[in-house]
Order: sequence, then structure tokens, then C-alpha cells
Amino acid sequence: MKILGLILKNIGRNPLRSILTALGTMVLVFVVTMVWSVLWVLDLITAEKQENLKAIVTERWSIPSRLPFAYAAPISDGAVRQPGDIRPDDSMTWQFYLGSLDPKNLTRDSFIFAIACEPDKLGRIENGKFVTMMDGLESLSPKDQAALLEAIDRLKANRQGIILGYNHLANINRMTGDVRDVNIDQLMGKRIKLFGIGGYKGLDLEFEIVGVFPAGRYDNLGAFHRDYFNNALDQYPQTHGGRKHLLADRNLNLVWLKVPNMAAYNRVSAQIDQSPSFQDPAVKCETASSGMAAFLEPLRDLIWGARYVLAPACLITLSLVIANAISISVRERRPELAVMKVLGFRPAQILWLVLGESLLLGAGAGLASAALTYGVINWYFDGLRFPIGFLDRFYIPINALGWGAMIGAVAALVGSFVPAWTARSVKPAEVFAKVA
Amino acid sequence: MAETNGAIVRVRGVHKYFRRGSERLDVLQDLTLEVPEGEYLGLMGPSGSGKTTLLNLIAGLDRPSEGEVWVGGQLISAMSEAQLARWRTRNIGFIFQFYHLLPVLSAYENVELPLLLLGLSRSERRRQVMTALELVGLADRIHHRPGQLSGGQQQRVGIARAIVTDPTLIVADEPTGDLDARSAEEILNLLDELRRSLHKTILLVTHDPRAAERADRVLHLHKGQLVEQAQ
Ligand SMILES: Nc1ncnc2c1ncn2[C@@H]1O[C@H](COP(=O)(O)OP(=O)(O)OP(=O)(O)O)[C@@H](O)[C@H]1O
Ligand SMILES: [Mg+2]
Repeated sequence: MKILGLILKNIGRNPLRSILTALGTMVLVFVVTMVWSVLWVLDLITAEKQENLKAIVTERWSIPSRLPFAYAAPISDGAVRQPGDIRPDDSMTWQFYLGSLDPKNLTRDSFIFAIACEPDKLGRIENGKFVTMMDGLESLSPKDQAALLEAIDRLKANRQGIILGYNHLANINRMTGDVRDVNIDQLMGKRIKLFGIGGYKGLDLEFEIVGVFPAGRYDNLGAFHRDYFNNALDQYPQTHGGRKHLLADRNLNLVWLKVPNMAAYNRVSAQIDQSPSFQDPAVKCETASSGMAAFLEPLRDLIWGARYVLAPACLITLSLVIANAISISVRERRPELAVMKVLGFRPAQILWLVLGESLLLGAGAGLASAALTYGVINWYFDGLRFPIGFLDRFYIPINALGWGAMIGAVAALVGSFVPAWTARSVKPAEVFAKVA
Repeated sequence: MAETNGAIVRVRGVHKYFRRGSERLDVLQDLTLEVPEGEYLGLMGPSGSGKTTLLNLIAGLDRPSEGEVWVGGQLISAMSEAQLARWRTRNIGFIFQFYHLLPVLSAYENVELPLLLLGLSRSERRRQVMTALELVGLADRIHHRPGQLSGGQQQRVGIARAIVTDPTLIVADEPTGDLDARSAEEILNLLDELRRSLHKTILLVTHDPRAAERADRVLHLHKGQLVEQAQ
């Protein structure tokens, strides 16, 4: 349409002002996009699922949670004692382990954080369907799923096997050859030795790399057979003058339980709470999301502020920036708008001419900003480092592109409505009257 | 309509006043005017006498405080703003003292602007725009922006824009007021030409006696009323 051409020409008439307005819009949309992305992820993980939900059982009074391994079996069973008690659909035990590839040079890059677990809880085929207890691995591409299942098979066959995260492989690669591209195949079967650090001091474990987690959430996590871990703890006294390792009796960090629905969760949770077996230390059972919510509790004010103060403040500022630019442009163009009216342009057409100009500028800059944020954060920086709980990094959701354009458009509409209305109401007779 | 009987413009008992604060400024008082079809009418009068005000009423840019304005058989003083806008596109060609071309548009696009409101095809628009630009002798400047044209050329583009919709009435408010003598002469010749070849009715407001000479009839605004002066 011809009017669109006119709108574009008006935007181009004062390029500096248009560019500054667009840049201001981009910066503010960037901030809002970031804030919303983080909030979106947090909402997603703290939203209570009603079906197939996960519960997490940890030590009640202490962080980090350290439970005796003897708790593993009864907790996994949901502490069933009598007929009618409900058993969880599935479970998974996590025993943390932290070791370094290089004891003489304890850099962060040399650390490997891993969980000891039952391999088939990482993933298996059940009734023709892939099931896993690991969040985020439920819907892998067929290729990633097949690769993971093969790695898990190797882990089952090889007690000293370990599945690593992509970043571990990259670090190992760098330590040996400083090659930038990680050749996963070449690293398969490679033997590594980890030297326990922190609470795991003295617990040195030898592994053979049998696989890598699909890229993404578990890039910084290793997983290995819990039997190997427990064996190593059992053997520890033989090489340490009969003394048990400090963690010998308290090395189970948490147990995940999967239950079909909220009612089942409430039952299982009550069974565990009332069980006499878990007195010292006591345990608590939470849903994954309530656990995460508890974890986020200290950040509550911050999150509230980001949602209800920071983001709205950015939106208001954005509207004002646009209102300012459009008002100036309308004031400058009063005679032109009056001429258009003389020629027969109707008030509504003039209104849309001005709204269209700011809408195009706002939505365009908003979309560009969100696309840039999306590309730079997700591809260039590979996510935003923001470790909370088990989250490691945030990615900007693809929805952000829509938000960006929408934020820009709405702010533009709000900001330009008054100037557009002024333009609409321009009276040619007054503009051309030389009031003496 | 019987009301017209040959006159294309009929202004009957028009009062126009403006309010400035508590003051009331009576500009036109019980003014009556008839302009026969095809007439070239000159309007003169001292600054502030209400020439532009009267022109605005006839061109449907403003409404009288009292009285009726008929143009081409239509009572335009009773139309709504949106109706007037539509009516102006087809019936009025406005020529301004300061040309008032849109600076971001080329000469061609400026002339095309009113045609966008008429829902014509691209080729029809092109034909009409080129006809108008040829008539004012600027067919070779179609891609120039107003800033790249002289005052006289800009005013010729303004005239092309005024005639491109083939309006009933052309109103010109001091079209030569901002031009040197030679350019002014050219513009006046052009108006004569429009008159002769297209048989347009023209209302010309001017301070310049040489411009007024060209008109069939010259009226003077005095104390809110029109006074005829023999040529
Ligand atoms: N919209 C308006 N509001 C208030 N006063 C107005 C308005 N338009 C015109 N006037 C006043 O009405 C009077 C007539 O103005 P008008 O512009 O019609 O004069 P003019 O004869 O065209 O003068 P000039 O020769 O200087 O162009 C002036 O005193 C002017 O100040
Ligand atoms: Mg005037």
C-alpha cells in the first residue's frame, strides 16, 4: 500500500532521531526480554505439575543433605509398610562426587562433578517407550536418545564406566591437546583418574569414558554406577589404616521419586514422614517444584521486583521514549498533516499514519532486539550463566521473538496514542491562519 | 438543485467569528457571495480582513458561525468533518502561498497524493499525474524532491496537485506571495491557462494588483463584507 511507503519515508526523514529511538527501544526490550526469559524458566520449573510429578527426598534439617545409604531402598519404595500403602512409579538415588583430573593444579576446568546412580534410571526402554528420571531428557531427538541408550548399556556392562558432560570432554581435550573441536569418538574408551576433593578427599576413582550426555542441561554433569562408588567407600579403610571415610555413613544426597498424581504424592509423602525408619537424620519429601520454590525463597523479593517493578518500569520508559520522539515529529509536521487534511485525508487516516509510523519502529526494533538477544545469548554465549539449584544456565526461549515484537508494538501504541490523536485533530484552518 | 441556478458557489448570510478568551472577533458579517461557473474571481483586502477565512469556508476547511455555504449544489456548511474530507478530494483544488509540498515525497508522489484517496488503479493514477505535471511544464522533474526545486517550480507542483483530481473549484491563497516577479508571472499565466483550457472556476486571494488584473471580477473585503470594484 502507498500509505506504508509514506510511513517508511517519514521514518527515514530524520534518520538520527529514528535510529536513536530504535536503539532506545532495543535496549529496553533487551532488558525486558532477559527478565522475562528468566522469569519464564522459573515459572516453568516452579509450576506444580498435576500428573507424573517428581518428588525429591532430602535430609530435613541440613544443607547439603547427607543421608545414610541404608535409606536408599526404603525411600525408593516410598516407605511402604502396610497393605494399601502406595509405591512410587519410579525412583532414582543420587550420591554426589566431586573430583579433579589434576590434583596438582586444582583449576575449575579440572573439576568433574558427578552423580553415582543406578544406570537404568538415567534412561531405558519400557513397554516400547523411553523412560528416564532425569529432567529434560524425556524428549530427545531419536539420534540423541539412541546414543544415550548405547552409553547407558556400556555403563551397565562396565562398572567403572562414566558418562560425562560435553564441557568435561572439552576440558579433557584441552588438557591433552588443546584442540578446539571435541572429537567425542576419540575420547570414548579413554581412561581417566579423578582425585577426590573437598569432602571426597582421599576417594580417588578411575573411570573409563563410555558416553556423553546430550548437549544442553547436563553439559557439566557426570554420571556413573553407584555400586562402584559404594565399593570404593567400602574398600577405603584397607588403604587408610582401617579408618572409614568421613562420608562412609552419609553419602546419599537425595532420592527422586516419580508418582502418578498429586493424591499419590500426598500419600507417599505422608508415608515417608510417618515412617519410624527415618528418625536420625530426619528426611523431608517435596515435589520438585516446591523444592525449587523453597530454593528460590531467598530470591523472592528480587524476583518480585524484577517482575513487578523492573519490567514495568522498562515498559513505561519505553513508552515515554517513543512518545517523546513521535510528539516531536508530529509537532514538526503539523503543516504537512494539515495539508494532507486539506487534500482530503480523513482524521482516522492521519491517526493511523502516525500510529503506523511508531508501530513499525517499535515492533521492528523490538523484534530486532529480541532476535539479537536470542542469537547472541543462545549461540554466542551458549546460554546465560545463572546457577540456581540444579539449573546451570538459562536459554532465551524462542517465544522471546514474539515478546520482543509485541513489547515494542504495545509500547509504541501506548506511547504514540496521544501524539497521534493530536495529529488527528489538527485543524487546517487554524494551522494556516496567521493569527495577527 | 434549484438553489444553484448557474452559480457554483453561493455564500448566504454568513457570519464567522472567533473567540479569543472572553473576546469575540467578528471577521465576516452577513456576507453574501455568488460565483458563477467558470468565473475567475479575485479577492483583495487588507491583512487580517478575513480573506483566508472566507476561502476556508468555501473550501470546506471550516464552518461558518451562521449562514449557509453551497458549492456545486451541495450545502457544505452542514457536512460532518469526514464528509467534508471526502468532498474536498473531489471538489476542491487548494493552492497555498508556501506551496506546502511534503518534503519526503518526489514531485510525482506529491501530485499523486490526493489520487490515493480515490481508489484508482496505478496506471490511471500515473496517467492523471503525468497529465497534470505536463500541464504545468514539469514532466522532466518528476523525481525531484521539493528541496531540489525552485520556489516557482514548487508552486507549479502545487498547482499540479490542485488540479490532478479534476476539481470543481480551484482556490488559491496568495499563490504568488512568496515568489519573485518573473515566477509570479509564470504562475499567473498558468492559472489563465487552466481557466482557458480546462474551464475551471478560480478563486484567487491576492495582495498584488497585477495578479488581480487577471481576474474577471475583483471583490474587496471590508469590515467583514464584500465590496465590488469595477475593473
Ligand atoms: N482559527 C482562528 N482563531 C482565531 N482567530 C483567527 C483564526 N483564523 C483567523 N483568525 C483571525 O481572523 C482575522 C482574519 O484572518 P485571515 O487569516 O482570514 O486574514 P487575511 O485576510 O487572510 O489576512 P492576510 O492577508 O494577512 O493573509 C485575523 O484577525 C485573524 O487573527
Ligand atoms: Mg490570508
